[in-house]
Amino acid sequence: MGGWELNLGMLSQVLITGSINCAIYAIMAVGLTLVYGSTRILNFAHGSLFSWGAYLAWFFSVGYFRFNYAITVVLTIFIMFFVGLLFERVVSHPLRRYPDWQTNIIIVTLGAALFMDNLALVVFGPRTKRIPRLLEGSVNIGNVVVDRHDIVIVIMAAVILLLLGAFLKKTWYGMAVRAVAQDSTGAQIVGLHMDRVFSGTLGISAALAGISGILLGPKTLIFPSVGWEVFAKAFVITVLGGLGSVKGTLYAAIIMGMVEVFVTYILGAVWGLPIFIGVLLLVLIVRPKGLFGTWE
Amino acid sequence: MGVILAMQKEYRIYIIMVAVFSLLPFFYHENRYVMHVLILFLIWGVVAAAWDLILGYAGIVSLGQIAFFAVGGYASGMLSMSTGVSPWACIAAGGIVAGVIGLGIGLPCLRLRGVYVAVVTLGLHLVMPTLLMRGRDWGTGGWYGLSNIPPLRVSAPLGLVPIYYVALGMFFLLLFFMDKIIHSSIGLAFVALREAEQFAESLGVNQYKYKLMVFSMSAFFTGVMGAFYAHYISKITPAILNLDLFLLVMVMVVLGGKGRFPGAVIGAFVLTVLNEVLRAAEIYRVLVLGLIIVLTMIYMPNGLMGSFELVAHSIGRRLKRSPVL
Repeated sequence: MGGWELNLGMLSQVLITGSINCAIYAIMAVGLTLVYGSTRILNFAHGSLFSWGAYLAWFFSVGYFRFNYAITVVLTIFIMFFVGLLFERVVSHPLRRYPDWQTNIIIVTLGAALFMDNLALVVFGPRTKRIPRLLEGSVNIGNVVVDRHDIVIVIMAAVILLLLGAFLKKTWYGMAVRAVAQDSTGAQIVGLHMDRVFSGTLGISAALAGISGILLGPKTLIFPSVGWEVFAKAFVITVLGGLGSVKGTLYAAIIMGMVEVFVTYILGAVWGLPIFIGVLLLVLIVRPKGLFGTWE
Repeated sequence: MGVILAMQKEYRIYIIMVAVFSLLPFFYHENRYVMHVLILFLIWGVVAAAWDLILGYAGIVSLGQIAFFAVGGYASGMLSMSTGVSPWACIAAGGIVAGVIGLGIGLPCLRLRGVYVAVVTLGLHLVMPTLLMRGRDWGTGGWYGLSNIPPLRVSAPLGLVPIYYVALGMFFLLLFFMDKIIHSSIGLAFVALREAEQFAESLGVNQYKYKLMVFSMSAFFTGVMGAFYAHYISKITPAILNLDLFLLVMVMVVLGGKGRFPGAVIGAFVLTVLNEVLRAAEIYRVLVLGLIIVLTMIYMPNGLMGSFELVAHSIGRRLKRSPVL
């Protein structure tokens, strides 16, 4: 473990890796927090949606159809959106009849997650898959080598988050989502359709998970339970940022992405998740509502 | 018989169950496989009931029960292997270690909304394999875990039938404790909190205190069974934390009936048998388990026990109405 003194070159390398982490965590965590904020569904199947996004991209590009990768990406995101709608229809909608559904939905989404993981195992088999990068090759920034794919990740994250922000602020539908997030009873009284908000947010969140799968898939291999670690980290970020707060989630993603990269640089990659859980416990003791969260 | 009939209804059921389970080895003592499955049922029955105690009664969505199971198993195994203390004492110690860790986890997060508890306990479960594999210097055995854990013994190592009776004794003892907790003032406090949280708190019911108590007790019960499991199987590896076992026990609770006391035990029986049946279709096993959870929660949220109660209730009403009786 010796010799981890930072020099300037390593520092910039670590910072760049950190920003790529931040970008992916932000996309995953914003999807989670969007759903939790407006619908109070804690979606444990978010990681499985991530894996399915990556699997679908593999299926359309190198697996079976050999589509052009740009078409694959668009198609995958589109399908994932409908998977999200289906998830709401089949899993969450029938459950909402019961009074204590907010507890039960944790169990149901967990069951659904393990179902989806094993469906992937049955359909695609246990062998790991590899999907192509969005852009091959690398560029030099100063004296640090950066993959073009990683630059795409950061740019896409920024674009997605800006679009999402504009969607929530400017469009009628986005305002409906925010209204439901603030006061669901009030929103129902003024005539907003809860079901549409539930479907829409779950659809968007599933699409975001799919995009993360496409972006992170080339960096990790794809296997049925690949989503769990990313999901757990995104989850910690979501809680750290204050469940349901999009802005808080962004700051938390930046903090944890950087913390992780320094910890793994010093201690090794396996310590990433334990550090996340440690930080989570610490935050819950010191500031349980998260960095920017508010109590309901 | 007179004595049994004079007792309260619940105790009668206990006596009958004890009698039935005590007699089973007389028929199956030669079939090692059946005995093994029965012992597994007794272990999972307690683990599922302890999970139900906090999930169904205290309303805490804990996802760390299998982690507590592993903690108990590892603590007991490591203690007996490194010090040579009798496995019986180690089982108790394993339970205590799990209970203390439960207390440590519950202390910061049981004050918060249920969602946070779910996240923290699932996090605990997910980091356990890393900690166990990295903890080789402390004697966790890394990837390969612990093997050759000393077996339970009274002068000589116990055979399968005596172990069955030990498991049976622990099963009834721990279930009896849980039954007592559910029907004590603590259980009443939880019913009050579930029905009218603010009113109960205004009457001075301290939610946090009771939750913390039940949470660590549940961890203790689970840890004891984990320790017993480790000594029975004689090995324990990080694979115990694979999500399929986690899912299996969760299905037991959900299918049996969340918050309907012996329900989780019934679920444990059904699932232990079903799990053995599904072994032939290994790749579909977890798929089926996940599907059972989703379908049960949507279409039968009170589980098998809830359905039994419904049927028994309607039969009872019909009997009362019928002029013959």
